[in-house]
Formats: sequence, C-alpha cells, structure tokens
Amino acid sequence: MDAWLQWAKGPLFWTALAFMLVGLMRHLGLTLWETVRAYRRAGDKSVPIGQVLGTTLNWLFPIQRLRNRWFYSLTTFVFHIGVILVPLFLAGHIKLWEGALGISWPALSNPLATTLTLMVVAASIALVLQRAAASDSRILSRFQDYALPLFIAVPFVSGFLVMHPAWNPLSRDPVLLVHILSADLLMLLVPMTKLSHMTLLPITQLVSQLAWHFPQDAGQRVGVTLGKENEPI
Amino acid sequence: MATAQKYSYNVEARGLESRDKPRRFLQAFAAVLQHGNYGVALDTFARLSAKCGRCAASCQLYEATGAPEDIPCHRSELLLKIYRRYFTQSGLLKARLWGGFTLTDAYIDEMAEAYYRCTACRRCKANCPVGIDHGLITHLSRWVLAEIDVIPRALLVSVREQLEGATKNTSAIPVPALKDTCEFLEEELQDIYNVEIKYPFDVEGAEYVFFPAVSDYLMEADTLMGNAAVMHVTDASWTIGTGNYDGINYGLFYSDRMMERIVHNVIAEVRRLKGRKILIGECGHATRSAWYVPAFGGPDAPPVVNCLEYAHRMLEAGRIPLKPELIPERVTYHDPCNIARSGRIVEQPREILKAICADYVEMTPNRTENYCCGGGGGTVSIDEIREFRTGPLGKRKAEQIRDTGAHIVISPCANCKKQLRELCQDNDLEDVEVLGLHDLLLRVIDFGVPTSVGAAAPGQSEAADWRG
Repeated sequence: MDAWLQWAKGPLFWTALAFMLVGLMRHLGLTLWETVRAYRRAGDKSVPIGQVLGTTLNWLFPIQRLRNRWFYSLTTFVFHIGVILVPLFLAGHIKLWEGALGISWPALSNPLATTLTLMVVAASIALVLQRAAASDSRILSRFQDYALPLFIAVPFVSGFLVMHPAWNPLSRDPVLLVHILSADLLMLLVPMTKLSHMTLLPITQLVSQLAWHFPQDAGQRVGVTLGKENEPI
Repeated sequence: MATAQKYSYNVEARGLESRDKPRRFLQAFAAVLQHGNYGVALDTFARLSAKCGRCAASCQLYEATGAPEDIPCHRSELLLKIYRRYFTQSGLLKARLWGGFTLTDAYIDEMAEAYYRCTACRRCKANCPVGIDHGLITHLSRWVLAEIDVIPRALLVSVREQLEGATKNTSAIPVPALKDTCEFLEEELQDIYNVEIKYPFDVEGAEYVFFPAVSDYLMEADTLMGNAAVMHVTDASWTIGTGNYDGINYGLFYSDRMMERIVHNVIAEVRRLKGRKILIGECGHATRSAWYVPAFGGPDAPPVVNCLEYAHRMLEAGRIPLKPELIPERVTYHDPCNIARSGRIVEQPREILKAICADYVEMTPNRTENYCCGGGGGTVSIDEIREFRTGPLGKRKAEQIRDTGAHIVISPCANCKKQLRELCQDNDLEDVEVLGLHDLLLRVIDFGVPTSVGAAAPGQSEAADWRG
C-alpha cells in the first residue's frame, strides 16, 4: 500500500501536474497566437476593448449573473469557489509543497476548508441533479457533463474522510490512495475536456469578438479557393 | 427558375440537388476557415461548450416552442460537431480509431432548417458563461450552406439583382422610377408641410451620400420625407447617387462573400461622387453591414453615419426646430437588434423620442437585452414562413407591445417595420401603428410656415395611401 501511495503522490502526481500545466499552456499559447493572427488579419482593427474587458470580468466574477436561474447559478458559484480554494490553500497540501519544493503560502483554516469541501460535494451533486431535472440542459448534456462534476467530488469526499477519521468507515490508506489517484486523473483530464476553461475563460470574449472582425478580402479569397470568383450568383 | 419546398423556405433548384453535398460543404467550410477569422472562435467554442442550458432561457423561439432543436446551444452544436470531427486533430484521430459521426445529406438538411429558424439576434450571447456567440455560428453556418447553394430564394434573388441586375438594387427600382418617387415626395412635402425640400441627385463633393433601405422608396414615404426634412432644416450637404442608392445588404444574412461585394459597391459610389461620408437610412442591418466599411474598405474608407445618430446630434445642437406641441399618442420603441445589441445605437433614438412625445413608454426588456421582432436575419423577406415569424418567433414581441398599451411602435428599421406590421395584423394588435422614427419627427419639425397637419395627425398621410 505504501508503495502505491508513494507512486501516486510521487511520479504519478508530478507527471499529471506537468501534463495539466503543459496542456493548459499549450491551449492558451495556441489560442493567443491565433487571436493575435486574427487581429492582424482583421480589416477593421477598432476592437471595443473596454466592452470586451467588461464582459470578461463580468463572467470571471459572475455576481450579477446570479439573477438568471438563481439557484443553478448559486450552485455553480459555490462549487467553483470551493474547487479553486481548497486544493490550493489547504494547510495539509501547502505542507506537502513545503516538503517537496520548500515554498509555502498562507492557508485556509481547517474548519473553513472542511466547510468548503462539504459545499463542493453538495454542489456537485446538486449540479448533476439540476442538469437532469431541467429539460433544456438534459437534452443538451453529454456523458462528460454528468460525469465530470461527480468525478470532481471524489477527491473532495475522500479528502474529507482522510481529514476526519471518525467519519471514515474504511481504513485511512486506501481512502488516501483514492484521494490522490482521483486528483491525479482529474489533472490528466483537465486539458482534454471542457475543464480547460480554467485558463481559456479570460480570453473567450475577445476571441468571440474578433471573429466578427473579418479580414479585408476573406470573401474574395474564399471565392477564389472554391473556383467561384466568376460564377454568376 | 424552378423552386421547390424541401425546406420551410424556397430554394432554387440547384440548392436541392443532393449530389456530393457533404464533400462540398466540408470543402467550403475549409476555405472559410482558411481565409476568415472564425477558426479560433470555433476552436474555443468547441472545446469549452459546457451545455449548461442558460442560453435556452434567453431565446424567444425556444420559449415559444419548447422544442429541443430551438435551444441555441443545440443548434450551434450542429456546426461544432462537424468542426470537431473534421477540423481538429483529436476529431480526426477518433474518427480513424472508432469511426463515428459522418456528415450526411440528412445532417445538412437539418442544419439548413435550424439555421434559418434562428434570426441571429444574438440575445443568447449575453447569457453564455463561456462566451459562445450563437449568432456568429448561425451567420457562419449560413455562409457555408450558401456555398452549396442552400439559400432562401428571397434573399438570393435580391442579392442577384443588386450585384448583377440592371437596376443594381434589391427592389429593382430603375433610376427614372426613383426620380419620379422623389418628385412625388417633394410635392407631398409642399402640399402637406408647405415647404420646398429637394432630393438632391448626384451632387459631387456632398458631405453625405444617402443609402436608405431601397424598399423605403416603395414602402416608407413618411420616413424618407422625414429624412429629407431633417437634412433640409439642418442645411446639410447631401445627395443620392444614381449609381447606387441601396443600403440593403443581404450578404450579412447568408454570405460574407456577397456582403463584401455589396459594401465595396457602396464605397465605390461614394468615391465616384467624391462624397465624404456614408449616411445610412432607417435600417438596422444596412447600418450593421455599413459598419463593415472599414473592414472591407480599409482605413481610408469613408466614415459611416446612421441617420438616427445624425438627427440626434443635430437635435442636441438645437439645429432641428420643433413645434411646441408634442406627439400626443402613447409611443414605444423597438430596438432593432443589428444596431442595439452591440450597444452602439440605443440612447440616441430614445432621446429624440422623449423630446417629441408626450407619452413615451419603454417595453421590457429593452436596449441591448431587447427581443428580436421575429423577422431578423433576413427571415422577414421570406414570405412563405410568415406564419412561423408572426407565430412562435414573434409571439414574445407581440406580448411586449401589448403590455405597453402603446398606439405607436417606433422602429427605425425597414425589416423590423415590415415584420412588426405583419405581427400586429396576425396577433390582434390592429390598432397599433408601426412607424419609423423620422415619420414622427417629420410631424413635429417646425418649418416656420403654417402647415396643414399638426403633431396629432394620424400617420396615414396621403403619401402613406400611395404606399405599395
């Protein structure tokens, strides 16, 4: 068991982390590259940058958006806060970083982290239930749309059990292994799924706007490529 | 040319041939991705689409039909699926390993239907957490479909006449008829308002070259008289070019390739006349397409001014003298999506209306969050889908109008006006009058001479009887 744990928190963890970071950087790099290219090709370079920035911030911190479908929105809001804060600011996690790399940063208090953890678990279940309950989102949903929130809950449930042995019906080590393995797998999934929005979200509004900034002669070039430039309408 | 009813709208015969459509669609899609700026947006949308369903709550069509295929995200997925399968490495790899989705004729038919049920009003864009612009996807999909000849016939014949026809405009109005019409309008202005106003043709070096929706010359006499009156009282230097007098650009609704050519023709006419600015009449999509003048014409292209912006600026500067009496009827304002969604022309018309109306009320929601009239994206020109436009698509707008209790709905857009009139006819709102903003402004301009009508005059002037 110990060897498994060492492997999961050692080589596998570092591989998964590197895969996630490199994958996300690749997405971000390619998207930025293409965005700059789109801008350079745009015939009209007057991008309403203030408006784009406003919309971007509005969605990065979607407080105003709580009005629309408020319970669903509130659930996603709570879910995101916990998912971002707990893995990064749990005291136990920071201690591991300190041991491995000698760096540390301020931690959440354990009771607060526990509260956030339980909120993530509740929110992930609520997200899935609400997705299934509303006919529009049910129709749209793919397998991954149900699977991802539930899978994200796995490291939170197992983490809670590791931190609170009194609640844990199983022995500590297998649960800890599930915790680490599920987190590792999650990191591997991030660049390959919609979870990559964690880096791409700040740029989507700009990308969306630039698509309307047509290159000066795009239409004509398409006509030439398709051999239609002299074809009657 | 023969047309047949394969889709809810008519297309010409060559659009019905099923020979090789999927391959041709993919070829056209590839060309558009290669030369256009859509690629990075599609890539991001395809990756991040969260399928949350928030867009469903903002779509007036889905609200009315409840049909899954009318959810904006569901519709966009039709194109994103093709993009993922044929234009991403992982899609190509998955297809090689496991097969799966293949583009078929039936799938293309589904898209042809779906992308003309959406008016590309872009209301849902504001509700998408990851910024997916479903209107953009409708716009793009229609272009790719157009390259395999799936185009509503109504849009196609208009563009054909504009780019290749004898009259060079979508309503096929020859120059002599245009001049007759303007002479008639001059007489009307003389008879009703006791004022001599000229429609100047081919004046070289004018500051403004005027491009209304050309259909205004057939349908909207009061709007055009209002336009001329505003130019007259503000001593503007303006002209109508007989080489090109049509602001309509249906390329916006189905093909960037056509839109680009039409915009180039507008610029060419302004250059021929050595004019300085492009003045667009009361028309939403004409204005939005003219906003692409710098995109297609480069930095030296003439600036674009919408007549509402002009009238608003002049009114603020105190250069439009107004009669003391206000328009007494209750008036409301419908925001045309093409000028309001981006927030570019939202307050100007309101400020004009508040200055001239005694009882101005807003419909809710409004401004950038307005509902489409139900005839957006060129669908208003497709007469064979009227039942759909004034039914599920326009239902929400009809309710909004009814809730205001207004007698007059102002909408400075030729397409919105046609749709709203049909909408009122088909939804028991016969008492509601749909007018352009300049129609109303004309009634209250003080020409400094006694006139035969006051502000309270009904909209049906003699000129309006001549309509059609």
